[in-house]
Amino acid sequence: MKTRLLVISVMLVLGAGLTGCATSGDLEKVQAQQNLINAKAEQALQDAQAAKAAADAAKLKADETSVRAENAEKAAAERERIAEEKAQRADAAFQKSMRK
Amino acid sequence: MYRTADLPLLANWRCFAALCTALVALNGCAAMRTVQEPGHPESEIKRNTFPVARGEDVVGRLAVIRLEEGDTLPDIARHFGLGVNAISAANPGVDLWVPEAGKRVTLPLRYILPDAPRKGIVINQATMRLFQFKGDGPSLVVSTYPVGVGTEERPTPMGQTRVARKAARPTWHVPASIAEDHRKKGDILPAKVPPGPENPLGEYALYLSKTGYLIHGTNKPASIGLRATNGCMRLYPENIEMLYRDTPVNTPVLIVNQPYLIGQRDGVLYLEAHTPFEGSGTGELEKIYAKLRSIEKQSAHTLDWKKVQEVQAEARGIPVPIFEMGQGGSQEDVKPLNVEHPDALYGRPALPELKLEAWYVLAADVREEIDARRLAAIINHQGPPIPARVLSKSSGYRVVAGPFNDVSAAREAARRLKIDLDIDGIVIEPVKQIENRKEVMGVEAKSFGNHHNKPNKKEELI
Repeated sequence: MKTRLLVISVMLVLGAGLTGCATSGDLEKVQAQQNLINAKAEQALQDAQAAKAAADAAKLKADETSVRAENAEKAAAERERIAEEKAQRADAAFQKSMRK
Repeated sequence: MYRTADLPLLANWRCFAALCTALVALNGCAAMRTVQEPGHPESEIKRNTFPVARGEDVVGRLAVIRLEEGDTLPDIARHFGLGVNAISAANPGVDLWVPEAGKRVTLPLRYILPDAPRKGIVINQATMRLFQFKGDGPSLVVSTYPVGVGTEERPTPMGQTRVARKAARPTWHVPASIAEDHRKKGDILPAKVPPGPENPLGEYALYLSKTGYLIHGTNKPASIGLRATNGCMRLYPENIEMLYRDTPVNTPVLIVNQPYLIGQRDGVLYLEAHTPFEGSGTGELEKIYAKLRSIEKQSAHTLDWKKVQEVQAEARGIPVPIFEMGQGGSQEDVKPLNVEHPDALYGRPALPELKLEAWYVLAADVREEIDARRLAAIINHQGPPIPARVLSKSSGYRVVAGPFNDVSAAREAARRLKIDLDIDGIVIEPVKQIENRKEVMGVEAKSFGNHHNKPNKKEELI
């Protein structure tokens, strides 16, 4: 009775062990899949970095343009102020010259 | 017999669409005709004299004119009997001396009569305008002229006075205080100035009973509409001549200061606001608000107070309709008249041609053309006028005054530029004289073997 039980247990363990083991073909397939996913991930990472770099560059450009526009606006306002001041000074000098 | 329409053609939808487009276009043209009214000849524009209907306070009509190249606002103002103050206030932001050609400017030729008895002469200092009333009742007529008044330091006195005497070609007896002011600037005035171009009284004077104060002409017409006198009231030469002829001795003269005016015409209430003189704004505003509140109460209608505040803040010196008091009010004459530009502007300073044998004064060397043109215009409008023009050079512009017949005239112009405009002018010899001297210098240089004498660069270019 004991022997029978032992034989059955050994067979069960062996069966279970044989079921868990993969063939070398399965292993290669998994490896290939991992490689593909890795490559995809790498590509996605690179794409994301490129996109971020492009976005950063665009933002920088936009910021620069905005600063330049602001500077141009300031310069135009300054020119206008100077021109207005000049006109006012000229008018004041004229008014003074009109006194008796 | 003729056909009015070809029906088979209308059946074609393309023809129908074309017809519709043509009709719409023609309609548009008609609308344009209403907007762009034909210009009125400037001779049709009333400048000075207006009938005054009983119970009405507003005279004249606004006009607009398109500026031409080389116009200045003071020239336009004088041609249409306006002061510099009036044309500037009516056209804020327009350069007085170098306005943009093609720009339409308003001629504020509509006035609210001052709140004073309509008798004799009334001068409103705040608006810088004189009103002379003639006749009475239904035949009441007002003649109005722009004036120059006293400065902040030497203001024109207010109140009632009268014309004590009149003089044509008056002599100016220089008051000690004015002589002292001029002496401080390095300008020594004689005790009296005889009639002529140097006389600031011009050709006619009305002496007021308030001693020392006159209504007179001027040798500085561009000062009309400015606070530039020592308390007298100046008029354009052409206006003082009319006033002088129309004003008998003993005519009452009332001088008021009313920056805010209200008046009615054809059942419409108008408000005219000017920038008040320092210290007089608040009191005058309170008076006008009290009057408006009283009108509002009497009429049992609400006034547009926001509009009142806008008119007051803008201070454009133009009567603005603020309230319809009765029915049947005509607003047709509220629309400004489109005036054609005259061929020549009256009183515009003449610019003599350049002459090689004449003397000149270099007034300025500037980078921007607009600055040069402005300065040349200001010099041209001095009194008596000093001709000045802009000459371009490779890296900027020069303002050159002249031509002058001799060195003393050029030196006198340079002296006036210094005293009146603080300009350090450089007297330039005639080109011919320079060339002659260069020839002599060349001979001398050859004789002495000296080749270091270089002619003045500025002189060379003129």
